[in-house]
Amino acid sequence: MKTRMKRAGAMILAGAMAMSCLGSVSASAAEPKKTVIGVAFYNDSSKPTTATKAYLESLADALNVEFKYTVFTQTDESANLTKIQELISAGAEGIIGTIDLGTTAIVEECEAAGVYYAGYLCDFDTSYQTAYEAVYENPYFLGTISDGHNPDDIVLGTQTFESVMEYNERNPENPLTHMAMIIFPDWAYPAQAKQAEQFVEEIEKYNETAETPITVDPIDAESDVIPFTPLDSTYFSKHPDIDAIASFAAGTSFVYPTMVASGVDGDLKLFTTGFEGGEEENFGSAGKGTFQQNVITAIETVTYPLVLLLNQINGVEFADMPETAERIGCDQIIINSDEDLEKFLVNIYNTGDAAGACWTGEDVLKMTAFGNPDATYADLVEAVTNLTLDNM
Amino acid sequence: MKILKKILLSLAFPALMFLVMLAITASSEKCYVNGHFIFIGKDLINQVLMNSCMTICVALAIWMQLKNGRFDFSGGASMVLAAIAAGYVGKNTGSMWAAFGTALVMGLLLCMLTALVYIIGRVPIIITTIGMTLLYESLTYILFGGEGVRAFYSNPKLCALGRVPGIFLPVGIAMAVFVIYTYFTASGRRAKILANNQSAGVNIGIDERKNTFVSYVFTGIIIGMAAIIYISQNDVTPQSGLSTSSILFSYIVPVFMGTFIGLASNDVIGIAIAAVGMEIMNYGLNCLNLGSGGWQQIIMGVFVLCFYTFSSQSYKINAFLNGLKRKKTA
Repeated sequence: MKTRMKRAGAMILAGAMAMSCLGSVSASAAEPKKTVIGVAFYNDSSKPTTATKAYLESLADALNVEFKYTVFTQTDESANLTKIQELISAGAEGIIGTIDLGTTAIVEECEAAGVYYAGYLCDFDTSYQTAYEAVYENPYFLGTISDGHNPDDIVLGTQTFESVMEYNERNPENPLTHMAMIIFPDWAYPAQAKQAEQFVEEIEKYNETAETPITVDPIDAESDVIPFTPLDSTYFSKHPDIDAIASFAAGTSFVYPTMVASGVDGDLKLFTTGFEGGEEENFGSAGKGTFQQNVITAIETVTYPLVLLLNQINGVEFADMPETAERIGCDQIIINSDEDLEKFLVNIYNTGDAAGACWTGEDVLKMTAFGNPDATYADLVEAVTNLTLDNM
Repeated sequence: MKILKKILLSLAFPALMFLVMLAITASSEKCYVNGHFIFIGKDLINQVLMNSCMTICVALAIWMQLKNGRFDFSGGASMVLAAIAAGYVGKNTGSMWAAFGTALVMGLLLCMLTALVYIIGRVPIIITTIGMTLLYESLTYILFGGEGVRAFYSNPKLCALGRVPGIFLPVGIAMAVFVIYTYFTASGRRAKILANNQSAGVNIGIDERKNTFVSYVFTGIIIGMAAIIYISQNDVTPQSGLSTSSILFSYIVPVFMGTFIGLASNDVIGIAIAAVGMEIMNYGLNCLNLGSGGWQQIIMGVFVLCFYTFSSQSYKINAFLNGLKRKKTA
């Protein structure tokens, strides 16, 4: 009887231990809590917006998330705050924003509602420069991933220079020898003036030893800085001898249409940022060969704010999570040859098909602290900052 | 002699505008690049013609309804939706003519639908057209892929109707349709009576509803022509929040100027001449680096205000000149 009692006790103890082990396993890789994440895009119909939505929806089941979308305005702070309030009313526990306009008020609103906020495709530079304490040091602002490199780590000038060099290597008989530049106003995009400066510095260095030097027209504040309106056609009369344009402003939307309307798209090459769709018909050696460089940021970078939000909502944190929110820059997808374009055309950014995304829901779950106890902040940053054509 | 006088008076506005802008740009260092004067050139003609043709089409569509006593907000939304449809069909078939046909049919259908809602609903025109604008704008997010149409304008095979000389076809059709409706149809003449005195028109037996519908059919053709030019020159994205009304009314200035300039001939020619004159001014401002932003708006606003003031006070100038003439004769 005593022995039976001992056996029974041992079995109960073993069962309890087994249950406790199982319990500890489920605690270390817990089922994600059902939650709602709001995403406020900067527009409602573009390739990155469509692709980001497709990507997020593909993650929804594995992460147990319902996504709700809205669109910020680029000019009205109070309208943006209203959009955030609407998302909070709709049950959002975390929000991803893409424009740094009204951020201080937005973060305050989120804090009051106990909702977390994070950024995507935006360096939140205005807040970084003027409201660091109110935004970045607020515990409800978790950080942001920029659209490319941060303003204090500019590389686009050098990248564009390299694209020009690659073009000239491919076309030794007809190299580019005279270029002009286009940027947005300094008050809105201070980094673009620095990118242009960096590009000019690289060209000057190259010219010191070059057999065929390249002339770059200096930025004319009146004609080369476009105030978010399409380039006017007299630009080409003001730069009469150029054979290419480096547009650090979104050239696909603001420069290319004027080139076509003025009939210079067959004569001039365009090195720019962004990809709106349709460029492939005149890219590299195709069509009129107008586009020779497009630079975009992989939409999978949205994984960074998403994981940070989900960690907080699920009540866990990375062991190496920084104390203050960070803005992290990332390498971009640089398309400057026919081969690059071929690879890019099947990318989710272009197709909007989540099957072509880098990561599945299970992959992203493993990046979270609640889905994988071994996951670290450093690993997450490493993963999202190296999404180039070669790495994807 | 009378015809020559009319032609000279009609051409006076763009000619004066050209001379003024020539003088201003010639005196500015900004308009000389490597010693070359950039205001005068092939680009001036090309840009002025391309931009004027678009302006003429939209201005005619606005004026046709305005002339008949209706302020229609839905024209912009009809144009954008027709443009998206045209671009979608054109890109999928690779045919410019398929795009042209689609723009025409969509322009017609959408304007006819607006007219039917107005006639059957018996709701004031402003409310009806704002409602239809919101409806058409929402459709830009749903129909034809829901993402608008990009880069139609950069395909030379597709966009010829937005470039010189192909652009003369839609603008020619739009002008012809306006002239035929206004001056050569009974409906056009009746519309004039209804606009001047609706009750009197109805009392003498004019079927107002039929007349309204017919005027929208003709407006639909003009909207279709505007749509094919619009998609051949621009990326067209889905629209919301009455933004299409702002697209529409950005072309309204030549309407009012054209009615005054058209006193020497007729309103169609007046609108065309006003559009050309305004585009010359825009081109000159571009050469001076004042083509966008605050200064352009200020210059344009002051000019338009002065022009309207002059036109509304022109009868006083006439009276003064006639007085001088009488004194001389006496």
